[in-house]
Amino acid sequence: MLGVYDFCGHYEWTFEWLRQRGGDSLVRAYWDEAIHQDAQTHASELILKKGFKGMQEYWGHTLAEEAAEYFTTATDKVFRIDMHECPSKGFLIRNGLEQYRDYCDHCMGWTGPLLKRGKFVVDHQHNHRGQCWWEIRKETDMTSASAPGQLAGHEDVRLRPDWKPSGKPMDTYKRANDSDDKSSKADCSKPGS
Amino acid sequence: MNEGAPDMNDLKEQILPYRDSKPVGAPDFYLAINATFRFILNKYGAEGLRQYWADLGTRYFAPVSAAWTKRGLPGVAAYWEAFFKAEPGAQVEVKLSSDCVILDVTVCPAIKHLREHGREIIPRFCEHCYFVGEATAVPAGLTVRIEGGNGTCRQTFCRRDSNLPDQNLAKIKEASC
Repeated sequence: MLGVYDFCGHYEWTFEWLRQRGGDSLVRAYWDEAIHQDAQTHASELILKKGFKGMQEYWGHTLAEEAAEYFTTATDKVFRIDMHECPSKGFLIRNGLEQYRDYCDHCMGWTGPLLKRGKFVVDHQHNHRGQCWWEIRKETDMTSASAPGQLAGHEDVRLRPDWKPSGKPMDTYKRANDSDDKSSKADCSKPGS
Repeated sequence: MNEGAPDMNDLKEQILPYRDSKPVGAPDFYLAINATFRFILNKYGAEGLRQYWADLGTRYFAPVSAAWTKRGLPGVAAYWEAFFKAEPGAQVEVKLSSDCVILDVTVCPAIKHLREHGREIIPRFCEHCYFVGEATAVPAGLTVRIEGGNGTCRQTFCRRDSNLPDQNLAKIKEASC
């Protein structure tokens, strides 16, 4: 039986299984069709109906269930997540599992199409160590991503001494809702600057 | 299980090849497992889905095959004890005899969770236990037979030389909400 205890392991393995058969387009289709439009229909219902409040409800439940170390900031204009210990990337790192080139892309892969339906855009960075941040705004709101500490105070993951990874690029999305809209830089520049 | 078996937390540490910091998995991931099967079925058909399950068994679960090779049927029993202990809502009895390990699944945690959330379960869902299980078992000189499904089933792991009849897929029930 396939179980949920090690779900992130076979989930990540599946990305590469699909990529070898249908290329990156099949992996993107998987995140959109299987995860966004099938598995996570409860997320769509909450976020499309309730907007930022729905995001708080959805990620409050799901990240707690997965035992994440995270902090959220919600206003009527932005929803921010500071992920200090991503439970799924942490599982992969601890168990030495890395089949697909960037597991972290799956988050934008399924939330991107959902947020696009809700006319939201995302500023996001992940450091490939199980740490990331997200700021979600309405696409009509042209506000740039916040400076470190501006929205989340001392909970801002960018203030961690280990935020900038060595030997791994920092992946950055600006006003995005597509997993291909990222840039990877070894030397991350601060957003909003 | 035999008397004197190790504590279950110790067992999980020793037996499960991929270990998490939390004791039990998040049940909403069953929704993604079912959706993944549906996606692959739609793209590649039944044979493609069976190939996916077989590849999972031979590749992703290769450490499980290695452990079963090393530990034999007691290792198989210990694996499933630890496995179901970490699956939320599972009710399973694991019986070890001299020539086989029998799993009596009275509550399948995946079917239970999918039903509770009103999800359309792919009818072939329960076949994955056979195809993944068999692909994991074969390298260890073992084989599995499954009877039932759709929430309750019996899974029997035996040595390949035990002359069991081939798996009759008609004995695996279609899953439904």
